[in-house]
Amino acid sequence: MSVPDYMQCAEDHQTVLVVVQPVGIVPEDQFFRIYKRIASVAQVSIRDSQRNLYIRYRHHYLPENNDWGDFQTHRKVVGLICVTTCGSGKEWPQTSERFHGQKEVFGATLYDSRLLVFGLQGEIAEQQRTDVAFYPSYDDCPDVEKKVEDFVESIFIVLESKRLDRATDKSGDKIPLLCVPFEKKDFVGLDTDSRHYKKRCQGRMRKHVGDLCLQAGMLQDALVHYHMAVELLRSVNDFLWLGAALEGLCSASVIFHYPGGTAGKAAGRNPSAAQGQAADAGKRHRPGALTTNGISADTSSEIGRAKNCLSPEDIIEKYKEAISYYGKYKNAGVIELEACVKAVRVLAIQKRAMEASEFLQNAVYINLGQLSEEEKIQRYSILSELYYLIGFHRKSAFFKRVAAMQCVAPTIPEPGWRACYKLLLETLPGYSLSLDPKDFSKGAHRGWAAVQMRLLHELVYASRRMGNPGLSVRHLSFLLQTMLDFLSDQEKKEVTQSLENYTSKCPGGMEVITLPDGLRLHPVPFTKLPIVRSVKLLDLPVSLRPHKQKGLMENSMSTKSPFIYSPIIMHNRGEERNKKIDFQWVQGDVCEVQLMVYNPMPFELRVENMGLLTSGVEFESLPAALSLPAESGLYPVTLVGVPRTAGNITVNGYHTSVFGVTSDCLLDSLTSVRTSGCLVEVIPSLPRLQLSTSLPRSAHPLQPSKEELSSSVSVQLFNGETQQLTITLENIGSEDLETLEITSKISNTKDGISVTGLPISSPLRQVLKPRAETRPPGSESSKTDYNHVKMLEAVMTFKYSGGAGKVEGYYRDLTLGLHVDVEPSVFFTRVSTLPATSTRQCHLLLDVFNSTEHELTVSAQNNQDLVLHASECQRMAIQVDKFDFDTLPQPDQETVRYTSLKLLEEERLHAQASMINSTLGITWDIPSVRRKGEASVEGVLNQLVLDHLQLAPLQWDVMVNGKPCDCDIIADCKVGDAVPLEVKLTNRSKNTVGPFALTVVPFQDYQNGVQNYDLQDAVTFIGSNTFYIDTVNPSEESLCLGALLFLYSGDFYLNIKFQDDSVGKEPGAGQGKELPLSWFGLPSIHIRAQEAPMEAGA
Amino acid sequence: MAVCIAVIAKENYPLYIRSVPTQNELKFHYTVHTSLDVVEEKISAVGKAMADQRELYLGLLYPTEDYKVYGYVTNSKVKFVIVVDSSNTSLRDNEIRSMFRKLHNSFTDVMCNPFYNPGDTIQSKAFDGMVSAMMVQAS
Repeated sequence: MSVPDYMQCAEDHQTVLVVVQPVGIVPEDQFFRIYKRIASVAQVSIRDSQRNLYIRYRHHYLPENNDWGDFQTHRKVVGLICVTTCGSGKEWPQTSERFHGQKEVFGATLYDSRLLVFGLQGEIAEQQRTDVAFYPSYDDCPDVEKKVEDFVESIFIVLESKRLDRATDKSGDKIPLLCVPFEKKDFVGLDTDSRHYKKRCQGRMRKHVGDLCLQAGMLQDALVHYHMAVELLRSVNDFLWLGAALEGLCSASVIFHYPGGTAGKAAGRNPSAAQGQAADAGKRHRPGALTTNGISADTSSEIGRAKNCLSPEDIIEKYKEAISYYGKYKNAGVIELEACVKAVRVLAIQKRAMEASEFLQNAVYINLGQLSEEEKIQRYSILSELYYLIGFHRKSAFFKRVAAMQCVAPTIPEPGWRACYKLLLETLPGYSLSLDPKDFSKGAHRGWAAVQMRLLHELVYASRRMGNPGLSVRHLSFLLQTMLDFLSDQEKKEVTQSLENYTSKCPGGMEVITLPDGLRLHPVPFTKLPIVRSVKLLDLPVSLRPHKQKGLMENSMSTKSPFIYSPIIMHNRGEERNKKIDFQWVQGDVCEVQLMVYNPMPFELRVENMGLLTSGVEFESLPAALSLPAESGLYPVTLVGVPRTAGNITVNGYHTSVFGVTSDCLLDSLTSVRTSGCLVEVIPSLPRLQLSTSLPRSAHPLQPSKEELSSSVSVQLFNGETQQLTITLENIGSEDLETLEITSKISNTKDGISVTGLPISSPLRQVLKPRAETRPPGSESSKTDYNHVKMLEAVMTFKYSGGAGKVEGYYRDLTLGLHVDVEPSVFFTRVSTLPATSTRQCHLLLDVFNSTEHELTVSAQNNQDLVLHASECQRMAIQVDKFDFDTLPQPDQETVRYTSLKLLEEERLHAQASMINSTLGITWDIPSVRRKGEASVEGVLNQLVLDHLQLAPLQWDVMVNGKPCDCDIIADCKVGDAVPLEVKLTNRSKNTVGPFALTVVPFQDYQNGVQNYDLQDAVTFIGSNTFYIDTVNPSEESLCLGALLFLYSGDFYLNIKFQDDSVGKEPGAGQGKELPLSWFGLPSIHIRAQEAPMEAGA
Repeated sequence: MAVCIAVIAKENYPLYIRSVPTQNELKFHYTVHTSLDVVEEKISAVGKAMADQRELYLGLLYPTEDYKVYGYVTNSKVKFVIVVDSSNTSLRDNEIRSMFRKLHNSFTDVMCNPFYNPGDTIQSKAFDGMVSAMMVQAS
């Protein structure tokens, strides 16, 4: 006896064994259908007696085991049912022959046998035979159960007779010695007449009768017989049989104590039987009804039973004892093992796990000699099952794993990878390993990493050998994701390498894999490859940031705290994540999310197809591929995408593809990720302007970098130099530009660039080219810091909007910063004036200093160039027409009212200086560096100079012969002709002037310092030589007419002398002040009188 | 002397496990892991009776062919498991007890470290040194 039946339990001792076997050719499925129907008759209550007979069916039983039938009668095959197919009468003899042959196998022990013949019809089938039943087909056999019941009853009759036969067999007759197969040779030549031998025979027989009583449903009798057998056998030290008797005692007691059975799943093992019994429960006793079915009128038997029956504690003690006796015999290993299993089942019911584990521990060590691989698997599986039964889940998992490994042992020609995989999966709970990665997301993994990793490796390998690479990828991904912290560098390499190998055949994805047995393998997102530390949604670049029109903005400011500032920050991540970020994204524009990631692997990690997972609006993610160096520190990665619709967008996570496995990593399940919010508003699309300038961009920001600038240019200029800057704006967005507003702001000087707004309604992608001429100012302050480089900064703002975003009230700003470094060029150290010959002109003397390091040329309008060496100072004189500053535009009343006087004065001075500058047109030119520019006199002009440069408010025009005369003009006239002389006064002052008296005095200049005023003979006046001019109102003219008659030819000068009559005539009237002399700058007139040719001849 | 010493958290995951380097480490992981079944069974059996005055020392958990596994449970349900070689018959129960006591004291020191986070694996050098002293010296 070498093959243990691990399913045995104590109550099997009360069953009779019936073997059901196919004979000849019987289709397997048909056989098992019939077998099931037969097996449903597991319990038969016997007519006329209130006893039950329990039947154990086997379709396969080793005859070798049958030899142990005397030792424990439930091992003895007492019934045989053969199932056969018989097509025709011809085959019948052969079939019959086979049936008899089969009977021979178990012949010695059989009480009865039956043959079920299917398919045979006709006369043979007609014959009435008790041991053969004929059925036309497997589908048409309604009374199989009935036939089996009859058969069982016939077995019972034999059993009962045997029991009675043996039980009453104590009358002096020689009792045969029952023995187990291996004992037979030991008793050869033994003295059969000794007391000892007799006792042994008696004891063994007593035990045998006990078995029969138990089978026949006479529990009480069985207990009595067992007790007697124990005493008899103990006295002769027949340990093997003593063990058997003790075990019998235990079995009977167990049956008494635990009518529900100890197998735990008796109903499961034989569901049809359970159903059948339930169906006719009224007729029969239920399997657990032993106590009731044994009730008889005699109550003393009840008492006796209770006395003979072992207590639950004693059962275990006796089992222990029995097993220790079995242990003495090497050949009784199977018996011992089965006894252990039975005891464990009893202990499991009693919930005595510790003792059960001792029995199991013992069972592990029972050596059954050479076991086949299949037997080993069976043994480990049953150990696992039993450990599970007593609540030792870890131990159970351990043995299950051993069983799984046994399925694919190298000695097995066809390894059962499927079975191995299935068994391995069953071990998962024992190692507290869940295959759902969600269970691992909470902090660091805590578990038996080494053991779990081993198991995962085995799962991977088994699933691969099963030919399911998808499964291997899933398990391997799981291993990598959850056990990363426990993998050594070498292991990390190996695992990823094999993962890449697998994924090359079967890429891993995010779908749930459902195994045939219903287990669902959840996808494993690689949240640790790479590890993401923070997720930050980025605002658009400054130039693309949308702004809300004022007035609609205010309500967006919402603070929950009543404090304006509080150092306490609420650490509530969940809330933070759902918080709306206070900037906007724009539909159609590329938006960025920055992740801080790092690579925990000891090698370069290639992450492909990394993109964002979003919800809320349609979002076009633009995936990126990145390569992270080995064990990189935090590494910023920017993921981009374009929202295609407007609304609120939520960034839920990101997706990656690493080692051929695609993962969707959701931020909700990543507790270690810091984020400042993932919800942002996407506003409708806006146009997009691109700005380019003719000057190169500058990197360095403006000094007062209060605001962020989209771009800036910087240029270095000499003072007075002009630089043209062309700004090109291009609409590169998809929306029409509808409004554009340009403003400029100087950051550290009060004047300079001014750009006026130009509202533009442009068609799509029109290129706009407004020209903004910037003129770096600053010459006014050059006196004090002429050798310092001055900095000027200005910001131009282009505010534009259009499309759907404009409807919502959004616009965009584009700012351009201008940075100008001004180096000094030329400046004037001193300015003075000299009167010129004409009253309308004067000479301006400028001391020009060249503060550059280059030679430069200074030129003014109508003047010679002046060459100045570096740091050289020279004087240049420029003849200029006097200026009429009154023609400058006057500031209007509004401005005057709101501006301080000082400012107005400055304004006026600036205007005057500009006028002077533009008239002078002083330019400089540095040929060596090809730079040129203007020089301004502003700032060096003092009041005196200005007065000199200003035209008098009273303007005198003298006309001789109808021609205007001034200093250098020589008026021609003929001797003897009357020369009309007009004096015109234009009053451009603000007050009424006059009346005046003018006296014209002619004289001759001999050009040698002598002036001859005595010209009464040469010149005569027609009329008076004195003109009277009446009062002249502001901006009015007054004209005096006179005439001269030259009597001789020659050069004459007229000196017009002036007398102010108003003083004398109207004292107290007038303006109460004397008009300054410079107002009366009347020109001296040069007249050349010539002889008329005709008269000269006469 | 021990061939493997393990500290197991209340939630039954290892805080510390160390075995003699000459042997297959994984084997000890399995041994200690399965011994937890017995530990749990013993705790639950005793727990019913007297929760307060429980003997911390659990005694022999189970013998295997080559090893004997002893257990010890602190009042905070942290388990210590010591595996000794079966062939080492000279080892008395008292010596095992004193080993556990030493282990417990050292573990208490670890827990007193303000920088130690309860539930983390033990990385204390002092603890490691003490364990090393109790282990069989690999010769």
